[in-house]
Amino acid sequence: MTGVKATKWWRAMILKLVIITILGFAIFGPLAGTLLWSFAIKWYWPSALPQEFGLKYWANALTGRSQVLDALWLSISIALIVVAVGLLVSIPAGYALARFDVPWKKVLLVLFLMPQAFPQLPVFINMSSIFYRLNIAGTVAGVTAAHLVVSLVYSVWITTATFKSIPEVLEDAAINLGASRVGAFFKITLPLAAPGLIASAIFVFLNSLDEFTGTFFVGAPYIQTLPILMYTASMGYNMQAASVIAIMLTIPSLVFMAILERFLKAEYIRGLGV
Amino acid sequence: MKTPALMQRASLSAQQAMRRPPWAGGRSGLPGMLLILPALAMLAALYIYPLLSSIVMSFVSDAGVGLENYRKAFSLYLIDMLYTVGITILSLAIVFVISVAIAGYLRFNRWPFLNFVYRLPLFIPFLIVGHSMRVFLAPHGILNLILSRITGIPELPGLAFGWGGLVISYVWKQFPLATLLILGAFQSVEDSYIEAALNLGSSRLRVIREILLPISGPTVLVAMVLTFVSTIGCLTIPLLVGAPKPVMLPVDMSFRVTYFNDWGVANALGVISYVIVIVLAYYYLKHMVREEGA
Repeated sequence: MTGVKATKWWRAMILKLVIITILGFAIFGPLAGTLLWSFAIKWYWPSALPQEFGLKYWANALTGRSQVLDALWLSISIALIVVAVGLLVSIPAGYALARFDVPWKKVLLVLFLMPQAFPQLPVFINMSSIFYRLNIAGTVAGVTAAHLVVSLVYSVWITTATFKSIPEVLEDAAINLGASRVGAFFKITLPLAAPGLIASAIFVFLNSLDEFTGTFFVGAPYIQTLPILMYTASMGYNMQAASVIAIMLTIPSLVFMAILERFLKAEYIRGLGV
Repeated sequence: MKTPALMQRASLSAQQAMRRPPWAGGRSGLPGMLLILPALAMLAALYIYPLLSSIVMSFVSDAGVGLENYRKAFSLYLIDMLYTVGITILSLAIVFVISVAIAGYLRFNRWPFLNFVYRLPLFIPFLIVGHSMRVFLAPHGILNLILSRITGIPELPGLAFGWGGLVISYVWKQFPLATLLILGAFQSVEDSYIEAALNLGSSRLRVIREILLPISGPTVLVAMVLTFVSTIGCLTIPLLVGAPKPVMLPVDMSFRVTYFNDWGVANALGVISYVIVIVLAYYYLKHMVREEGA
């Protein structure tokens, strides 16, 4: 009896080890390659590791008046504007969708989902021709607008789910005690909604920071955000420079992944109405 | 999945039944619509207008209004269309198998390592996945470096710049979201169903196939449609790891505009990609409904 148990245990252990090896290699392999390239000065086939390691390409990217730093600040500025404008329009919209008897509520929610759930490229192509006529193609304003429309789903859906999760009784109690409707919203509902609003801001920020297609069509060639710079470097086989930017763009996502871990529970996703 | 929705509906009807006191203010549609208006106006101007414009402009060419752009699109890009659908369906099938396997495993076993690691690609943007796969799968890339050391074969063909690299990149990027959604649905299936089946001698595989999957049908559907749409619409991965020919439709669309300045055919290709998405989503939906009816 114990023999059978032992073989079963071994089989489970071996299966686990096989899964760890395959999954570990499959998931970490491509990222490890990019990380190695960012620190490689010389790496010729068929050497298993770079012949020469160094911080040269990191130094190039991060010191002095480098193109990479300019692109980084531009990307961050655009992302912050997108977050600000996005929250400004999404908080009232999310509140209304959560609390009011808005006609065609389902249709409206699907409409806000559309930019993420339908091919985006043709929309960006036409946006670029419309923006060109309006003279905002190739400007920060144009790129910001492109980022806003694709991140609207995160801000509207997450704020709606957040306001839904806050009991309406709390607002009613505040109003009962003499607060105005607007006062109750700012004093009671908004502070309670803060974690959800922060989650939505993070999604919007990352989405804007990493956005490529819209920036490429609406902003090219004047607006050089970090993703555009990375793409140009990678297409030009400038592996080190591209890898440095790739790592720079990955770090914020991984940091926020740790923060969002709380929010990314399956139950929360369910709250989004999926 | 069902309980919260039911509760929501119950509380909603309770609210409707209760006459709101006068100080609570109106809850009619008008103030709600006003609050939504800014977001909706933005969506209309920046999304719906370009979307409609892509449909309208696909019928306009130098020859006037008609199907000229579509005739040209089909004569130039029929192979790419079939290639795009083929690659997308293949990626979708692999994503389905992997995500159901991981979600099924995690439904029965607690394994924090796996639960953490599988989510990693969720946080890596498409563009970075494209670049990393370019480095990893190239003929002289990291994968071949390791494989040629193990096998002793000096020159191996690279997976990048071909259909293999494309499928690997799409699957790598897409399976975590599908797994996350499907696992969420699996976890909301009550333990008692699963225990009953296991006690009666069903294998875990059979429990997944005959209990977990059918109950989670709608969520699985959503996960697959999301995967399908983001695969068929992705521009960066095929630009970075695709073959020069045949290419995925988004690449054709992009080249049509940037190299040929031909917006009509690009828009026709765009509308064709809308139609592909709608047709497959519809077919899948219908199939699911029939399965549930049987």
